[in-house]
Amino acid sequence: MSHTITGTCQGCTACLKVCPTQAIRGERKVIHVIDSARCIDCGACGRICAFTAVLDQHAQSCTHARRAEWLKPCFDLKLCTACGLCIQACPVSCLELNQSLKMDKTLYPNLSRADDCLACGFCVDICPVDAVRMASPNN
Amino acid sequence: MPPYSGKVLWVDLTAQVIEEQHIPDEIYTQFLGGIGLGAWMLYRHIPAMADPLGPDNILGFLPGLLTGTPTLYTGRWMAVGKSPLTSTWGEANCGGYLSIAIKQCGYDGIFIKGISPTAVYLLIGPQGPQLLNASDLWGLDTYQTEDILIDRHTVKKKPAVACIGQAGENCSLIAGISHDHGRMAARSGLGAVMGSKKLKAIVFCGAKRVDSVDPCRMKELSRKTQKFTQITLPIPAWSPPWLGLVMRNPWISIRLDGIISNTVLKKWGSAGYNQFLNEWDDSPFKNWTGSHHDFPMSHSRAFSAKQVMEDEVSKYHCLACPTGCGGIYKNPDGQSHSHKPEYETFQSFGGFLLNEDYPSVVRINDLLNRAGMDSISAGACVAAAIEWYTEGLIDCETAAGLELTWGNTIAIIEMVRQMIERRGFGANFSDGLKAAAERLGLERHTGVIESGGQELAMHDLRLDSGLAVHASVEPNPGRHTTGSSLYYDFYRLWKVMPELPKPSLFERKKKARIPNYQLGIRCVANSNFTNFYNTLGVCFYGACLGADRLFFFDQVNAACGWHHSAEHYMQVGQRVQTLKQLFNLKQGIDPVSIRPSKRALGLLPLKKGGNRGVMVNLDSLRHFYWQAIGWDHKFGIPTPETVNALGLGPLAMELELPAMILNKHTAWQIEMQSQEGLEVTQ
Repeated sequence: MSHTITGTCQGCTACLKVCPTQAIRGERKVIHVIDSARCIDCGACGRICAFTAVLDQHAQSCTHARRAEWLKPCFDLKLCTACGLCIQACPVSCLELNQSLKMDKTLYPNLSRADDCLACGFCVDICPVDAVRMASPNN
Repeated sequence: MPPYSGKVLWVDLTAQVIEEQHIPDEIYTQFLGGIGLGAWMLYRHIPAMADPLGPDNILGFLPGLLTGTPTLYTGRWMAVGKSPLTSTWGEANCGGYLSIAIKQCGYDGIFIKGISPTAVYLLIGPQGPQLLNASDLWGLDTYQTEDILIDRHTVKKKPAVACIGQAGENCSLIAGISHDHGRMAARSGLGAVMGSKKLKAIVFCGAKRVDSVDPCRMKELSRKTQKFTQITLPIPAWSPPWLGLVMRNPWISIRLDGIISNTVLKKWGSAGYNQFLNEWDDSPFKNWTGSHHDFPMSHSRAFSAKQVMEDEVSKYHCLACPTGCGGIYKNPDGQSHSHKPEYETFQSFGGFLLNEDYPSVVRINDLLNRAGMDSISAGACVAAAIEWYTEGLIDCETAAGLELTWGNTIAIIEMVRQMIERRGFGANFSDGLKAAAERLGLERHTGVIESGGQELAMHDLRLDSGLAVHASVEPNPGRHTTGSSLYYDFYRLWKVMPELPKPSLFERKKKARIPNYQLGIRCVANSNFTNFYNTLGVCFYGACLGADRLFFFDQVNAACGWHHSAEHYMQVGQRVQTLKQLFNLKQGIDPVSIRPSKRALGLLPLKKGGNRGVMVNLDSLRHFYWQAIGWDHKFGIPTPETVNALGLGPLAMELELPAMILNKHTAWQIEMQSQEGLEVTQ
């Protein structure tokens, strides 16, 4: 089951704008609907909804947070193998291989477009060697 | 949830119809994914004796079963179809990041059939799959096509693109399918199949997550593998040719370890092997008539490990790869970039043609990547052309002014251009070496080096008789990544399956060449393991690290929630191999007829070099392979017992062997038809 929108939705379109796969439909001030075939369960709609109108894939109510407070991925480059799985898992391509640290010309991942990050944690889930973790942007 | 979606996409270009097909769980149990799923589909859906460039042929794009999960080295995608070059089972394997993009669209495979009346491309995006007009893209090279499509279809996530260049559009039988500016699914001529269907490109815009049953266990296993990938041996850049010289000694062969291989790949990429393999005489020279004497160290220095790093701007890692053997290269013009040439390309246009001009090889690599043409086949074609020209078999008029002499870079580059554009003298070679020989009336010449129509790669069959076996017995013949004695050493399968023979650290070379059943067992283990890891989307270089260090058997269990043994998964590999062989039989291919050229087997023995005097006894070697895998030891046809034991009975019962093969083996079909009541998924 994908994310769903409940009757407390105010039709503010915030979720519609943040959704990376255009899975949400709805007019302004009308309850929005999530197309389960397109939904990838990134959870961005739930985080951005100020009316806690979104249920996650387990039918639990999502917690709202100001976008500036959303967690961001941090990379432990000592563990990172530069395998690029995190780059490709990201639904908004906000990561890039452009950090060069060593003499061997290897490029490592970097959050190059932090404002676009959805805090979905796909990069954390897919990393084979646990080199990515989510952290507060203020730390 | 397991790492497969349980559905594939079918695109009928003739009818312009797109539909999904749901795949039952038991198919994944039997064939896993990737090449296994492709074999299951194509065997059933491509009719007997289909025209490879006709509407009946099916072109499949497949990620691996483990692609998109937290496992290392699982980033390969595969193109499958009936090869127009060999008329056999065709497959080509490629890196980059396309594999995960297919899965992120929610499919375990994309299958294309029919022929579109006009040029189209397939877009799989948020609106669902759709065919769009590609007339503005037709004629563009692979770089331009990809750039335009990425620019056109990027919304929030950058899409992944597979496309053909001019070679594919021209239905050149040595055309490949390109991704990420020149990562190429090059072999088997599947770019021509895509071109024949008027399908310019596929754009993948998905972002779905790939699940797995026990990701924590998978990460635990990946971290164990990582410990081995991090080992870097102190191999200096000057040493590869000297190590090759040691390996060339006439008495003893030394078992190599994947840690050495991985170190070379990490430091210099496959180009780090250039001088090592040259000095070992693993590289063929002068269209298989020469040896390292013709291209000594003073010449091959132009392609040394140190040299190949000078133009590298950054490392390139394919998806999920911790090794990073690729590189982004600065082109000779100093401005544009391309992928670093692989060993195969360096050798095909370097030592093989006695060409010492390093920038010319980089230039040719870029030309071929842009056009979407296989550099191995192209190099083999140029080598034969040079041989025929220098022998006087082709006159100046036929060669249209090209002065085709060994090492003449101007003529070599011009011939490559002509092959790509299908014009002038080069047009004779646009469909590969075998077709060129027929066009020029030279089909009986010993310089036509191929197996089953596929040009052989830059590894000498006379050095490694296992390589000769695989070049002949594999359903996709003439390939260098399907198996060899060296790969058996790398795979270390005896560590996880003690019943398999363990090679000794040192072995007498003469003894190693004597055909025996043990060699057959080893080659079959290679085939089964190769098919197994190609169902998972694993990279060949990754697999060379060794089965005991990669834990792929455990990874599949963790990903799918299964509890099978290594032996079970090796049987899956055998099932896939056998089904591909049945595919060939259905297409009228006689396995006995597929043999590498006499020169490549040493039947016209070399007089100099490490392989002087070596002759490969292919018939005996094949006999042992076919016996060990459970196929008829004389004809290479899977026996009914094997077919049934692998659960392929009902599929094979539909098979009607062509008369040519049936005459040799009448009993097979009679016995096959007598087998009934078998429990298999059809």
